[in-house]
Amino acid sequence: MNCTQAQERFADLLDARRTGTDHAEVRAHLAACPACQREYAALAQTLAALDTLPAAQPSPALRRNFYAMLEKEKSAAARLPAVSSHPHRAIRTALWRWILAPAAAGALALTAFLAGTRYAPPPAAPGLDPATKRELAELRARVDSVGQLVGYSLLQQRSTSERLQGVLATLDRKDPSQKVLSDLIGALALDPSANVRLSALDALYPHADQQLVRSGVLASLPREQNPLVQVAMIDFLVAARDRAAAPELGRMARNETLDRAVRDAAQRGLAQL
Amino acid sequence: MVSSAATDAVDPADATLSDHELMLAVRDGELDALGELFERHQGPLYGFLVKFTGQRTAAEDIVQNVFQRMLKYRHTYRDDGSFTAWMYHLARRCAADHFRKSNAAPAATDPADLQNHADDAPHAGDRAASRDDHALLHTALSRLDRDDREVLLLSRFQELPFAEIATLLECSVGAAKVRAHRALRELRDTFFQLQQERLT
Repeated sequence: MNCTQAQERFADLLDARRTGTDHAEVRAHLAACPACQREYAALAQTLAALDTLPAAQPSPALRRNFYAMLEKEKSAAARLPAVSSHPHRAIRTALWRWILAPAAAGALALTAFLAGTRYAPPPAAPGLDPATKRELAELRARVDSVGQLVGYSLLQQRSTSERLQGVLATLDRKDPSQKVLSDLIGALALDPSANVRLSALDALYPHADQQLVRSGVLASLPREQNPLVQVAMIDFLVAARDRAAAPELGRMARNETLDRAVRDAAQRGLAQL
Repeated sequence: MVSSAATDAVDPADATLSDHELMLAVRDGELDALGELFERHQGPLYGFLVKFTGQRTAAEDIVQNVFQRMLKYRHTYRDDGSFTAWMYHLARRCAADHFRKSNAAPAATDPADLQNHADDAPHAGDRAASRDDHALLHTALSRLDRDDREVLLLSRFQELPFAEIATLLECSVGAAKVRAHRALRELRDTFFQLQQERLT
């Protein structure tokens, strides 16, 4: 080992935390090299002087200011849940309970009536022709699963009430398929009716723990124009603790062209995230 | 108003928790757990920042900012994170802000810092000599390149493993060690030069 190689290892040798490391080669070189001994001694002396530097103590003001800041943050955090999430959620729940749900139920009944008058077998005619039977079987197959119903309602039918009915049909499903969730996200992103988008968002709430759902809502947020739906989506992402939403919420909070309630909701959401 | 937590003894239950567990609790909304972290780390962090900035009042401001950012960005603390490394990461950012501001506007001399500067007047006795050596060391530290000073302080005083220092500095472990050693040699040269100047 030459002087350069030995001196490159001085850092390890001087590091008290690495006492277990074997430095036999370096030590052997040191024992035989006066120049390296001087170099090593000078470095060790400098470190020893550094270690004797007295530890500076902060003034009492630091602790006082810290706890004042902590108290302020705790107060702000305690206020946030009460201010941000409950009013909008309550408004949506009331809206759903008293307006959308009866409307959707009516739409469901109307659809059932229309389907019945068109496809149900007439009581006076006990025998069905093969074409009608085939049509009935096809219809049963198409509405066989909730997922298919949703896809059918959202993607093919044009009536708002029918699309709403499709969303409604998913509410009781505890474990909907990815297809159903994708359709709901599609409705949230693309449906022209704010009521359908809101109901789709409500249907997605129980599945907010899924990354697919959170990403879908977040991706839909920038294109949403309705303030009520925007606020509902922000509440959703905050309730889901989706930290990936923070940059988008930051942009919304600064966007002067957005509704004041939306900017406030984004600001509160950011603080909660 | 100062919280009662400022004067009360720390909850004994908190003392058994690791820094990481406490920070996870803070992240999950138990903000009081940050008090225990403050009590554990404010001293070493302040000591590091006093040596790094050379200014006591600036060091206090930065410590306050670091803990403020811990609260603000608590949701970014990761399950597999190291609290100490995260704290020094925030401290470096806050210190960089401080240096940027102080470069933009010349700051008035902090009277609290005067004791740390080399004194031209001769001192008598061992105690005075020791105090002189401390002053010379502070001066030597302040003359180091800022990056060198930082890596030297992190490796010598904060007991951070070189792996964490390397992560903080965004370099390899080997590079962090080389930088720390180079900084030590720079410090030695400056320190000895200042000692020679004092003798002559």
